[in-house]
Amino acid sequence: MKEKIAQLEDYIMKHCLWQFHSRTWDRERQNAGVLGTTMNILCDEPVANETREDRCYWVDAVCLADAFKSRYSWLAEMDKAAIKTLMQALKERIDHLTISGSLNKELTDKQY
Amino acid sequence: MPYHEFECSTCIPERKKHAVIKGPGEDLTSALPEGYLNTIPGSITERGCAYCGAKHVIGTPMKDVIHLSHGPVGCTYDTWQTKRYISDNDNFQLKYTYASDMKEKHIVFGAEKMLKQNIIEAFKAFPEIKRMTLYQTCASALIGDDINAVAQEVMDEMPEVDIFVCNSPGFRGPSQSGGHHTINIAWIKDKVGTVEPKITGDYVINYVGEYNIQGDEVIMQDYFKRMGIQVLSTFTGNGSYDDLRAMHGAHLNVLECARSAEYICNELRVRYGIPRLDIDGFGFEPLSQSLRKVAMFFGIEDRAQKIIDEETARWKPELDWYKERLMGKKVCLWPGGSKLWHWAHVIHEEMGLDVVSVYTKFGHQQDMEKGIARCEEGALAIDDPNELESVEAMLKLKPDIIFTGKRPGEVAKKIRVPYLNAHAYHNGPYKGYEGWVRFARDIYNAIYSPIHQLSFLDISKDKIPTNQGFATQQMLSDTTLPEEVVSSREMRQYTGNYDCIPDYLNKTYPYMQKTPTSEN
Repeated sequence: MKEKIAQLEDYIMKHCLWQFHSRTWDRERQNAGVLGTTMNILCDEPVANETREDRCYWVDAVCLADAFKSRYSWLAEMDKAAIKTLMQALKERIDHLTISGSLNKELTDKQY
Repeated sequence: MPYHEFECSTCIPERKKHAVIKGPGEDLTSALPEGYLNTIPGSITERGCAYCGAKHVIGTPMKDVIHLSHGPVGCTYDTWQTKRYISDNDNFQLKYTYASDMKEKHIVFGAEKMLKQNIIEAFKAFPEIKRMTLYQTCASALIGDDINAVAQEVMDEMPEVDIFVCNSPGFRGPSQSGGHHTINIAWIKDKVGTVEPKITGDYVINYVGEYNIQGDEVIMQDYFKRMGIQVLSTFTGNGSYDDLRAMHGAHLNVLECARSAEYICNELRVRYGIPRLDIDGFGFEPLSQSLRKVAMFFGIEDRAQKIIDEETARWKPELDWYKERLMGKKVCLWPGGSKLWHWAHVIHEEMGLDVVSVYTKFGHQQDMEKGIARCEEGALAIDDPNELESVEAMLKLKPDIIFTGKRPGEVAKKIRVPYLNAHAYHNGPYKGYEGWVRFARDIYNAIYSPIHQLSFLDISKDKIPTNQGFATQQMLSDTTLPEEVVSSREMRQYTGNYDCIPDYLNKTYPYMQKTPTSEN
């Protein structure tokens, strides 16, 4: 599990930008939106993409899910419950790196 | 925390927290330098000021505008020779630069009257231009000139003109980044929503944080237009003043340089509900991914895929030619802000370069988070370096090339390290598929320049070889390459034009019917 999360984390940190918005509340929203939708896609669950904001999460999530599937063949061997557990742990890890454990002192500024 | 202390800066102990080495097992919770703080006294910074960030980075790329600085004439220094944000209206905004030319007597008696006279004179000198941006400088801010009132007086007397006032004197913030922030917020507060958007397409974006350096915006516009996407405004390269007043009419904000322009995207999201999509316009794979995302947002991903396939087939063999010859070369990636993360990973993956150091002059910790996350282990990350630290780092890391600005670039040359201009480029554009090949070509030409090889000889003591003849870059680069690479018929050097921009500007784009399944 730890090794798998490290691989997914490495991909996100090197290829994505959505996790680095400027404030804590933004990052919480982004991480939940993109990673939550990615989990839905990987588990063949319906996703919300009616509003413009939803669609923004959705496009990042589709690209992320495609990248995960094409790069990490072990993902295809996991059942949906295991994928959910994995994605939840991944979200906790990304939250830690970008929010709770972040050394970025500007995250708590009240305004943009 | 894996801080790195420069020997030259032991006398400035605060500097230690501004450099880290990303060691094995380190992540962002343990390796992140300080950032966006006031420069420590005694450390001679390479930063610009907040006025520079507002005017010279963000304001002045607007093309159909008189950009007037209320201050001494020296504040307008940055133009043709340092800035290369070209435009498709004969570079009006670069060719002419304006200052109210404050002198000592104005400091004593005030300069508002003179400013008003100058504004009117400037409009009369260029009667076809009806828009102006007016910048506060340190001098006029300190004496308290009310430039908003002066601008309003002129607008009352000349109702056909519109003036944007930017109150970002040089001291307003630790670096040019303070000016980016100020002008973003001022523009959305004072100007967005004051013009009705002219919607001509079914899919409408603002392209934000893009400054058309040597034509970057033109090359990216081509892709958007080929997908049938209307770029309502570009903030701000090659952008039009009135188009930028209508930013509220877009469906999506496509954000390139988050460092300089995320503020306006965030505000557009909060005030108008327009979401923000961060993209990378540099590098084949990140760009392809970015085009795919923008298209997917509108339900037209087949159009993006067509462009990706065509452009990749056209340019990939040329990128690969350079990659073979750049493999393993060491780079100090030392730009101003966003390019440290735009480039850190993709020059490693797509050109084979090893990034041994990243630095940022005016970036925030957020930029270092992105940059360090994208670097390989062992990279030295420096915030707001001074010249001595840069020299020490280069002597220690022995890079084959550095990507940086014009001024630190000249310092690198003195210790015989070639540099490429990361801000204004050497032979851009660098965005887009063709632009990325041009970037690889410039790196190749810099590293293997036969002239540069001569700089390693010291004519005061070295024996100058007289038995060596003519050399080319390829004679130097191909000596250690395998035969199959040297004789490859697939890979080739850049075959585009010396100036590729006119071909893009001359293109026409048919209207593309709305895809029935799309939702915007």
